[in-house]
Amino acid sequence: MHLKIPIENTTLANGLKVVIAPDISAPVATVGVYYKIGFRLEPQGRSGFAHLFEHMMFQGSANAPKMQHIKLINSSGGTLNGSTHYDVTNYFESVPSNALERVLWLEADRMRALKVDDENLSNQRDVVKEEVRVNVLNQPYGGFPWLNLPPIAFRNWANAHNFYGDFADLDAASLADVQSFFKTYYAPNNAVLLILGDVKSDEGLSLAKKYFGDIPAGATPPFADPREPDQSEERRGEVEEKFGTLPAMAIGYTVPQRRTTDWHAMTLLDQALHGGRAGRTYRHLVLEKQIAVEVDGGIDDIFGYNGPTQMVTKILHKPEFSSDTTLTEFDSVIREIQQNGITQDELDQLKVKFRSDYYTTLEGGRGGMPRYGLMHLLACFSLFDNEPQLVNTILEGFLAVKREDVQGVAKKYLRNDKRAIVFRRPVNASLPAGAGAKEAA
Amino acid sequence: MATRAAAEVHTAVPPLSPERQVTWPKRTRARLANGLEVVLAESHTIPKFHGELFLRSGNAAAVHRGPGLAEMTATVVRTGTAKRLSRQIEEDLRRLGADLSSHAGADNSAIGFAGLSELSEPLLQLVSELARDAAFPEAEFERERRQKLEEVKLDRTQPGFLAGERLRRVLFGAHPYAQVAPTEEQVAAYKRDDLLSVYREFYTPENALLLMVGDFDSAAMLNTIEKVFGSWSGNKPAIPPSPEPAKPRGRHVHLVHVPGAVQAQILAGCHAITRKHPDWIKLGLTNSLYGGAFNSRLVMNIREDKGYTYSPRSGVNPLRQYGYFSVSAAVRNDVVAASLTEMFYELDKLRALPVPEPELADARNYVSGVFSLGLATQDGLLSQLATVALNDLPDDYLETYRERVRALTPGDLLSTARKYFDSANMQIVVVGDRTQIEPQAALFGDLDVYDAHGKHLS
Repeated sequence: MHLKIPIENTTLANGLKVVIAPDISAPVATVGVYYKIGFRLEPQGRSGFAHLFEHMMFQGSANAPKMQHIKLINSSGGTLNGSTHYDVTNYFESVPSNALERVLWLEADRMRALKVDDENLSNQRDVVKEEVRVNVLNQPYGGFPWLNLPPIAFRNWANAHNFYGDFADLDAASLADVQSFFKTYYAPNNAVLLILGDVKSDEGLSLAKKYFGDIPAGATPPFADPREPDQSEERRGEVEEKFGTLPAMAIGYTVPQRRTTDWHAMTLLDQALHGGRAGRTYRHLVLEKQIAVEVDGGIDDIFGYNGPTQMVTKILHKPEFSSDTTLTEFDSVIREIQQNGITQDELDQLKVKFRSDYYTTLEGGRGGMPRYGLMHLLACFSLFDNEPQLVNTILEGFLAVKREDVQGVAKKYLRNDKRAIVFRRPVNASLPAGAGAKEAA
Repeated sequence: MATRAAAEVHTAVPPLSPERQVTWPKRTRARLANGLEVVLAESHTIPKFHGELFLRSGNAAAVHRGPGLAEMTATVVRTGTAKRLSRQIEEDLRRLGADLSSHAGADNSAIGFAGLSELSEPLLQLVSELARDAAFPEAEFERERRQKLEEVKLDRTQPGFLAGERLRRVLFGAHPYAQVAPTEEQVAAYKRDDLLSVYREFYTPENALLLMVGDFDSAAMLNTIEKVFGSWSGNKPAIPPSPEPAKPRGRHVHLVHVPGAVQAQILAGCHAITRKHPDWIKLGLTNSLYGGAFNSRLVMNIREDKGYTYSPRSGVNPLRQYGYFSVSAAVRNDVVAASLTEMFYELDKLRALPVPEPELADARNYVSGVFSLGLATQDGLLSQLATVALNDLPDDYLETYRERVRALTPGDLLSTARKYFDSANMQIVVVGDRTQIEPQAALFGDLDVYDAHGKHLS
């Protein structure tokens, strides 16, 4: 399955990688700048800083003071945003293509010189705290399991800390931290520029040179080692659920290194276990045993991480079933696939679905941004693999997976001594009589 | 200032280059002999297609049988047909590389689907089976009903849901739009026979609209649709009359008490207009200036200047019979009064003073620009076409939208704000811990306090 998405890529003299994916079918362009720094490697004592810093990138640059960035994109008929991930932080815009040059100017201006003050920092610190409240502290199951599981699963601070940030750390962040983070990680040689849509390759490349070419390179950033020590026993932890009515748990197994044979097989195993109502965990726990109300999960953003990560199953179950009963039934799903593997018919279904989902990812709107998914893949394949053309070939590895590979990774990676479990327990569960005693039918 | 350059830099904002023409794809419209309305548009971005089969009746039309019954019917529709058991449906979908969802809102029920172009006919056959031959297996119904019971409990632990539920109650009173979700007791009372009645009435070709966008040849796709759906039959359901909605006068505060909440969810709203109303585009642009865009007055004020909130926004919510305007923000407990003050300040300013021409020009560009971004993806285009078709808007609506936005003047916006930003009669909902926020909320009008289940506390 060889795709033929046209892609041009090069590296400028200052080390900035540039990728152009022209497609003139609509007069719309999407631009992204990805920096190879995410919350995994933010400084110790500054949890949440990578994300707070992302907010600061909208607060003003040398020639575009606070709000100009947003105003110029919106008033050109476009939308913009940024997001912080484990190993990358991105900034992106979708605009009618007549605004392309303006977008590139803005991105270059803030790569060259961030211009922010204490008032901006204090303002965005307040905004980020409300973001954490609205998404985590004031929501049922807020941050579950993405913030709850890593501190239990991992031992290396890089993988285990609070990625949204402890409020004390957010309060301690200073303007000097902002400037030093910018100098260290926001250099052209630690970034990739992507231009997708209504642009010709040569035009895109010459605009990239025009606006970004004279930004001086920085020193190669130092990266902390994110590797984990070997795990030899199951890890468990508990978190209180303040608002929700149902007990919840999340089970995470560490995933094999990306772009290996095991990783391809693990990805299809993930699809067999999760993948909606046809997935084995949903079918068993929700549809057949009727223990759980919600089961979902999987490997989050399989192409977009570059360090230890987990395949996570998230379960919300009825209060009349105990955690032990629920976990026992989950384990029976895992044992079944370890012992008997999957059928050829099931594997064929998984491959068709995976291919179909991959196309959707490529086209992918995110909040109305055309080609967000293609941009994201091109960026990650550039920064992690130095090979953006992988978008055209990466499917092959998944489509070549065999039944025995799936069973093999199930045995090798889905081991109790290699997993972590977090239980999220409601403080005011309204338990019916005889609660917690019910056995699975 | 962190600077990494001494070299000469480009200091001036580059001008916009000449605009490339936006060409909306050709639509194929047809009506089958059985009454099924079909709209197709080609979009060859990926070798897939997206579709939605709408039934033009939803929870509002089923409310006399039970609140939320159209949604429950849609949920159970996918759990079995005359030919396939639940498990086979789910596995067949995966075999076709397809996604499918069946759901219902206030005004419509729908089966949404997406799949690979090479496998379009078998997916359409499955959609047709769900629309015509759903079996409502007793055991599946019972499981989904219990599942729904837990879901409605969970819903009422979410601040956003509680705010929306309360506002709809207040704005609509006895009208079915007042109820956005059933209570536990109402779910407990659902009967399989009720679902069957809703299914027989709503899921008919005369009541249906099939929309598809994707990588196909329209003429060939129309033939396939004729083949798959041609023998479906059934009449348009009668539309039950609805009581008039409440039209609350005067500002009033409705506090939903959530003990222990560490933030206050504000949602204020008033009656406005439907999608078909001639003022719709004017109101859309006025809303965009107020709080509908990142670069809007409200966001600049309470987020970028004052840091009260992460996510302020406003919008116009068009239901079929009535529309309403609303503004929301989740704010720190100690700035509830300050946030409401700024929300009303910005509303009243738009009612009092004309928008300066440069700010209006920016907003016009924003609204017309983002409209055309929808063209670039299959599901984006599908949602644009659904808006046109479900609201019976003119055929050239997409083509002329941008011109109509660009013709609007400061005077249009001033009169629109005066008509629809009904600041004197806004209903203010605040969801949070009353011990933290009640005195602040009470400054803005007579106050009623409810718990999360709608019980009046004081």
